Amino acid sequence: MRADLIRIYKSVHTWTGIFSGMALFIAFYAGALTVFKEPLARWASPPQAIEVVPLAQAQSLILKTLAADPAAARDFTLHLEDVENVPARMQWQVRVGADSDDHDESAQRHFVATLDASGGALIHETHPSSLAEFIDVLHRVVGLPFDNDPNRWVMGGVAILYTLALVSGVIVLLPSLVKDFFALRVGKNLKRMWLDAHNVVGIISLPFHLVMALSAVVFAFHDPIYGLQNQLIHGGKWGAAFQRGAQPPHAPPPRDPAAMLAPEAIVAKARALSPGFQPTWVQYQQVTGPRPVARVWGRDDGAVMPRARGGFAAIDPYTGKVLNTDYLPGAQSTANLFISSFFALHMASFGDVAVKWMYFLLGLAGAWLFYSGNLLWVESRRRRAQPRAGGAPSQRLDCRLMASATVGVCLGCLCGVSLMTVAQKWLHGHGLDLAYWTRALYYAAFFLALAWSFRAGAARASVHLLGVAAALTLAIPLTSLLAWTFPSLGLWAHGSAAALGVDFTAGVGALCLAWMARVTWRRIRASAGDSVWSVPSPGAQAEADVRVRAA
Amino acid sequence: MSHNKKALQPDWISKTLAGAALGLGLALSCSGLLSLALAGLPLPVRGQLVMWVVPLIALGAWSGVYLFPSGLSAWLWLGGTNLLSWGALGAIRFWIASTH
Repeated sequence: MRADLIRIYKSVHTWTGIFSGMALFIAFYAGALTVFKEPLARWASPPQAIEVVPLAQAQSLILKTLAADPAAARDFTLHLEDVENVPARMQWQVRVGADSDDHDESAQRHFVATLDASGGALIHETHPSSLAEFIDVLHRVVGLPFDNDPNRWVMGGVAILYTLALVSGVIVLLPSLVKDFFALRVGKNLKRMWLDAHNVVGIISLPFHLVMALSAVVFAFHDPIYGLQNQLIHGGKWGAAFQRGAQPPHAPPPRDPAAMLAPEAIVAKARALSPGFQPTWVQYQQVTGPRPVARVWGRDDGAVMPRARGGFAAIDPYTGKVLNTDYLPGAQSTANLFISSFFALHMASFGDVAVKWMYFLLGLAGAWLFYSGNLLWVESRRRRAQPRAGGAPSQRLDCRLMASATVGVCLGCLCGVSLMTVAQKWLHGHGLDLAYWTRALYYAAFFLALAWSFRAGAARASVHLLGVAAALTLAIPLTSLLAWTFPSLGLWAHGSAAALGVDFTAGVGALCLAWMARVTWRRIRASAGDSVWSVPSPGAQAEADVRVRAA
Repeated sequence: MSHNKKALQPDWISKTLAGAALGLGLALSCSGLLSLALAGLPLPVRGQLVMWVVPLIALGAWSGVYLFPSGLSAWLWLGGTNLLSWGALGAIRFWIASTH
């Protein structure tokens, strides 16, 4: 391959990488955690305060609740599973503000219904933990606070740079791939070692990254693309294609929900469609309107699931007629399976828990890939000590700033995520707006870490922030341990495998961070001084600055 | 490879613009051709499939645009490919409309 071509693609790789690296670190760290969104939500949910109505009484619960609050008929959920983050049998959301975005779940009020002793409906407002959803938002919009259109377009721009960086990185590596692939040259030349590791991780996880990059571009820009294709290809028929039948000429009288089939009967219809399908909840929509539908959501570990939370069969709740199986895992047409596999490959919604762990590790490896890319950018611009000049030269300002930004953003994200996770248990039950405080604590930790990284320099800050991140992450299992030992504290610790898995993973994560803090500290102390990763004695930096100015 | 070839011109701005704009044009026209080829599928399914190919082709073209010797050749080649694919799309549509 021609050398000038490699040089051009090296520039493409360098600049697309440096502009997207830190945003991608946040997306991948939060994304790796989002693989276990449900266990995180279960860990963070306080013990159920409301007794769950037995499934046999669910029909009566639905009818009494709809009589008490007809607005709930628009869209409500009947839970079939009894897990920590299910607050009651029946649940629904009311959107606050008409102009809020579809993907933004922060602007919602949550309600649940139960039956009192005399069999009447009791409606409560609940405030479920926003932790798992907010980690997912950080992942979807590269660390920005809200999942709305402008932020998704920022994410889409980052994803385009990410795609270009991937392809250009492979082109740059191609000529020396065979020579470099199995080589991890650990030794004196630290830059060589980091570059080898960056290449190995990049090439091994390339298919994963191509899937992530292209699907992220689609998730950001599908609406504009559909808009263009509607005009250029579909002849303006795209919007109408999703309407079910023609609009009736005049509004029919509202349906009476008492005529609906019982939930068990609806669930049985869905179960019969696909043997491996395990229903988890039923989403009722417009049950009093002209087009009532019950979506029976569920999982099927042996099939491709169209969405992260599984898939659904759409059933008419009055007649039991199956309306749609396009999104039913295990029962999709080839074309629909093809489309669903793009989602499943992004969201790890295929296979069982082993696939989720693989995605978790690939996600963390991805975060490391971007971190190491930034380190290589800094290392390539390092000023080395000259044997004759004596003393260490001061490093370029842009390198010092980039090193500080990388350390601050990446470790700030780690600190923020761990802090807001621990806070779910400590802040609960004090009458605080937990969704607000979750966000506030994350950004407080993130920006404090960033500020400290610029104030103290990348070298010192990296050790401090790794230490803080290790402590905050260790606080996650310690809080559960404390809750279990001293129940009077008002904390809680769930004993399910999912919740214990969160505690255990956090414990292992804390140990890894502590080890990283230790080896970073050693590296900095052993440094010869001619690097952004060394801590100059106060006099030496000033001396070096004088030398540079004099030279 | 030949050593007497002229050196590659970086031409960052013109190549990047060609990759972004003409890559998108090429992707949209190819998605139109794919939509015709999949005419047997219902529109909601076909529409999703042909949406997914747009970033694939657009970013594939954008990633490859820096291989062209110069910005001008990138515009000429990608522009020509756009003319061909949009022309083919128009011709097939015209043929379908006149035979049905």
